[in-house]
Amino acid sequence: MSAEAALDHGHAEGHDDHADGHDDHGHGDLVENNYMKVPNIKLAIWTFLGSECMFFGSLIATYFFYHEKSITGPLPQEIFSIEITSISTFILLMSSWTMAMAVDAIKQGKTGRTVNFLLATAVCGTVFVSFQVYEFWHFYHMGLALQTSLFGSTFYTMTGFHGAHVSVGVIWLLIMAIMVKKGYITGEKAYSIESGGLYWHFVDIVWIIIFTFVYLLEFAKPLSDAVK
Amino acid sequence: MRDERTPNARVTRSGMRGQIGDFLRRAAPALLPIGLLLLTACGGEHPRDTLNPAGDSAEVSAWFFWLYMILDTVIFAIVAMFFVAAIVKFRRKPGDDTLPPQSHGNMKLELMWTVIPTFIIIGLSIITVGGVFKLDGRPALEQRQVQVDVIGKQWWWEYDYTQHGFSTANEMHVEEGTAVSLQLASADVIHAFWVPRVSGKRDATPGRVYPLRFTPKLLNDIGEDPTKVKEFVGQCAELCGASHARMGIKLFVHPKTGPNSYDNWVTSMKKAAAEPTTDVQEKGKKLFGEKGCVACHNIKGHYDFRSPRSRTTGPDLTHVGSRSTIAANTLPTNVDNLAKWIKNPQAIKEAALMTNLGLNDEDSKAIAEYLMNLK
Amino acid sequence: MSAKLHTIEDIESPPPDMHFERGLKSGITDWLTTPDHKKIAVLYSLSGFIYLLVGGLEAILFRIQLAVPDNNFMGGDTFNGMVTMHATTMVFLAIMPMTAGLANMLIPLMIGARDVAFPRLNAWSYWTFLFGSLVLNFSFLHPGAGAPSAGWFGYAPLTGPEFAHAGVDYWWAGLALLSASSLAASINFIVTILNLRAPGMTLFRMPVMIWMLLVIQFLLALAFPPVTVGLILLGFDRMFGTLFYQVSMGGDPHLWQHLFWVFGHPEVYVLILPAMGVVSEILPVFARRPLFGQIAIIFSGIFIGFVGFGVWAHHMFTSGMGPVADAAFAATTAIIAIPTGVKIFNWLGTLWNSKLSFPTPMLFALSFIPMFTIGGLSGLMHASPPLDLQQHDSYFVVAHFHYVLVGGALQGLFAGFYYWFPKVTGKMLNDTLGKIHFWLFLIGFNVTFFPQHILGNNGMPRRIYTYPADAMWGFENMLGTAGALIMGSATLIFAYNMFVSFKKGEEAGNDPWDACTLEWLTTSPPHVANFEFTPIVLSERPVWDHKYTDGHEIVAPDKSESFHMPSYSWKPLIVSSCVLTIVLGLLLNTFIPGSYLWGLSVVGGVGTVLGVYAWVTEPV
Repeated sequence: MSAEAALDHGHAEGHDDHADGHDDHGHGDLVENNYMKVPNIKLAIWTFLGSECMFFGSLIATYFFYHEKSITGPLPQEIFSIEITSISTFILLMSSWTMAMAVDAIKQGKTGRTVNFLLATAVCGTVFVSFQVYEFWHFYHMGLALQTSLFGSTFYTMTGFHGAHVSVGVIWLLIMAIMVKKGYITGEKAYSIESGGLYWHFVDIVWIIIFTFVYLLEFAKPLSDAVK
Repeated sequence: MRDERTPNARVTRSGMRGQIGDFLRRAAPALLPIGLLLLTACGGEHPRDTLNPAGDSAEVSAWFFWLYMILDTVIFAIVAMFFVAAIVKFRRKPGDDTLPPQSHGNMKLELMWTVIPTFIIIGLSIITVGGVFKLDGRPALEQRQVQVDVIGKQWWWEYDYTQHGFSTANEMHVEEGTAVSLQLASADVIHAFWVPRVSGKRDATPGRVYPLRFTPKLLNDIGEDPTKVKEFVGQCAELCGASHARMGIKLFVHPKTGPNSYDNWVTSMKKAAAEPTTDVQEKGKKLFGEKGCVACHNIKGHYDFRSPRSRTTGPDLTHVGSRSTIAANTLPTNVDNLAKWIKNPQAIKEAALMTNLGLNDEDSKAIAEYLMNLK
Repeated sequence: MSAKLHTIEDIESPPPDMHFERGLKSGITDWLTTPDHKKIAVLYSLSGFIYLLVGGLEAILFRIQLAVPDNNFMGGDTFNGMVTMHATTMVFLAIMPMTAGLANMLIPLMIGARDVAFPRLNAWSYWTFLFGSLVLNFSFLHPGAGAPSAGWFGYAPLTGPEFAHAGVDYWWAGLALLSASSLAASINFIVTILNLRAPGMTLFRMPVMIWMLLVIQFLLALAFPPVTVGLILLGFDRMFGTLFYQVSMGGDPHLWQHLFWVFGHPEVYVLILPAMGVVSEILPVFARRPLFGQIAIIFSGIFIGFVGFGVWAHHMFTSGMGPVADAAFAATTAIIAIPTGVKIFNWLGTLWNSKLSFPTPMLFALSFIPMFTIGGLSGLMHASPPLDLQQHDSYFVVAHFHYVLVGGALQGLFAGFYYWFPKVTGKMLNDTLGKIHFWLFLIGFNVTFFPQHILGNNGMPRRIYTYPADAMWGFENMLGTAGALIMGSATLIFAYNMFVSFKKGEEAGNDPWDACTLEWLTTSPPHVANFEFTPIVLSERPVWDHKYTDGHEIVAPDKSESFHMPSYSWKPLIVSSCVLTIVLGLLLNTFIPGSYLWGLSVVGGVGTVLGVYAWVTEPV
């Protein structure tokens, strides 16, 4: 086949993927031949999330490694308040909806709407973190510190890092909101909001896992034989 | 666009001498290790030679070594043969600018050198798994056993013969042909118990107890005098701090019968400590109590230890005079070395946890004399 | 758009202001703010090489201590510090950055791209690595403590607050920074390789070097987090009194071991696969024929990377996991031998029916084969627990991993340096000095490490600062020290060669080796935008096929094609400094408790956020 055709159509001989010859020059984006048809930022976030799976996986595995091995200190069932944590969980889940709405808005080029939903998501995230702070303060006053027991060490570290990720996410949302407001991000660059959305949804999913396996599962058995 | 200068045109010498010289230069990467092996493998009996096994466990390990060694040598020989042959045979002749055949591969060869190694690996894995379970085997319950609780501490080994009710340190005594069952634990960091001629090593991990089992071979079977005690040496094999290198182990294998039998040793160990025979020893015994040695050390009949055992409890000294070395195989046991150790442990073993009591020469010597008598 | 077709001959030397060479001699501001992958590659490679010398010096020092029995050249804790730093330096500060240097230089050039996907993130990775390395080495200066002395693998509870001095704080903090640096770099390279290939370069037309580099980026992205978590848990134990590794409160030292080795094993494949990629690039060039079984070699690399995640507990055979776990990991470990063998046989196949020449890069690439084979075969022994129970934690293991990491990885990196030095600098390295380096190093290496197999068989454990005369280990240890000095001399000769050749070496030209892949298309040193025209790729050996196959054109569009190169920026250095400040705040607060120096971490955090904002809104 002729090389000229290769240039014109961006088609390469080969049995698998083909070159899409269209340029996607963004701000300093060196995307010239977007083989994966996935913008650079989005692909980067996916890879980062893969790494984060291993990170949270290790933290959660540590929690379960030491589950019910504490020598002293309050037990999970004694201090967890499923009612309060359910509320904060619900708020975080709602924030995933507002995030999805923000992405939808930017894809339609509606920057005002986008900013509003981004801010709404940030507010939900902040409320979630506030609930967590309250929860930590409450547990501390019931006698569970980082240094009290294995439960204390693993619980605070695992949920603390999750809360830190939510906080970083809130900052990310605010930065995105400012950038949309100031016109740095427009409809053509919807994928950068989408990438932030991927991170936000991931953080939400991690919380669902923690809420289910750390909080809810403690109450799946009667209190009597939970006190082992 | 080809570069005009052809750095590929390395001139290689023709003629016989040149060819041999070339061959040697090219083949050196393959020949060097073999030459060094021959050079360094010569020597007398090594005290920790894993390939001269004196225990059943070490014997299994040695068997596996030879199995893999033969296989590895064959594989390396094949690789080396083709490697050297290719380098010698396919050198580019000077001035030859033609290209060799531009083949990309050969499916048959690929399959062959994937499938054959797969079968070899499967075979090795089956044999290995067999070995794993064999080495984990428990001796039959009714069999006579030597049971020792081993506690690794920075930087010495405590041995509790709970069957018989006494403790000793660093030098373990066992019986030929009788199963030894060690329960390994640690009071501080991870250590590892290793006497190479007798068995592979296991970690002594704080918070866990893990068994190590082996049976020393009969003294006759390893070419030793069956009436004498045979000494094996080992040491800690897991980095455990500044004096990791000074955490030695001695293993004494006793005959089953006769004056040097294991049973005789047990009997002597069950006795209380020997009474002082001279004035100096008497003084040393008093100082032992006054100066605070009793805070960490047990001497049965003289200073029976009452405090709860802790991480820093020191070795049982009831029969310290009959141990061949002190400070975990750091110094031979004699009055001078004992005195030096008592006076300033940290000078002999870096960061040793034994308190420096600030004793003077005279007092150290007196206590040393007292201890030397505790046989 | 109809393009004017050009051939390679039409590519002329670019105008001076576009020439990379001025780049190598540019001022310090340029180096601090560069987004250019080629400059960042030089930074990584030079740093890595300097740390190679530092690690080598650490080795020579402790080898002096071990040369004779009962030596008192250095004490136990100092010795333990030397071996810990030697290993940590060689793995994290020498081999990995030199590999990052090759990756940075070669990935865009070999795939026909103009730079990496995220040039400023690339710079950030370098600065974070540099700061991490400095934190680690600052430990030497800590009063009353010194270098971390708990081993490069840092087993708890030896590294815990009860047993280890402040050296370990520098260790975990430095490694945390290094893991962040690696993560960012791995994301960058994955996106670059997947998205920025030149038109026509399908995945299977990519050079093997790029394939190996792609595989290790996935290993890095997925394997670092467990050890990052392990280090955080250790740091928390030391800083905040948590109980993760506190045995008295129920903590289990095996937690550390699992977290560390889940990282540690894929890490060794990170160290070796790029060197295997280098060998796969060099052998065909100096054999004047294609790599035999290229697809098999690629798939073997992918398989090794994948299965490498399933073998970690072969480092724990003596720890008491029980026979079932031992047997399972023994089986998975043995499997890796198969693709490794496939690679070795295919390299031999490349040498067969070829026309070989032997300049220095080829010598190193060739020597890789037998040396790595020896290391791989001793590794196969370790995979069998009955045998490993004797070999673990003995000098047999030291021999094994030095054969694969020095005889394998380091020789591969040396080969790569000799091979690509002309492309980077425009000058050839002196081949005579190169051959002296090669032979001296090979001899020294074997003199040191081969006898260590014997030492292992004779029961010498690792990490002991001294040994008695009656252990009968003196001769092999003396050889070990002698060989180390020889290796050191060889490496200094190499350093001298690089220095002297950079100044007045022979001019290289675009394609001094008559090679195959895209980087030889451009000038030496490369055009600042790598290629004056975007190449189009029609085979896996584009430059070779253009030279030797009739009618195989590498087309390029009209010279008037414009492209946008990334701009210089201070943000990566600033943000990296802020991240360093976060870590320093934590460290200082640990060393001086109650001092509120954690406030420094807060300042660093705020700085990071502001810096990132400035970064993402910066016009590029």
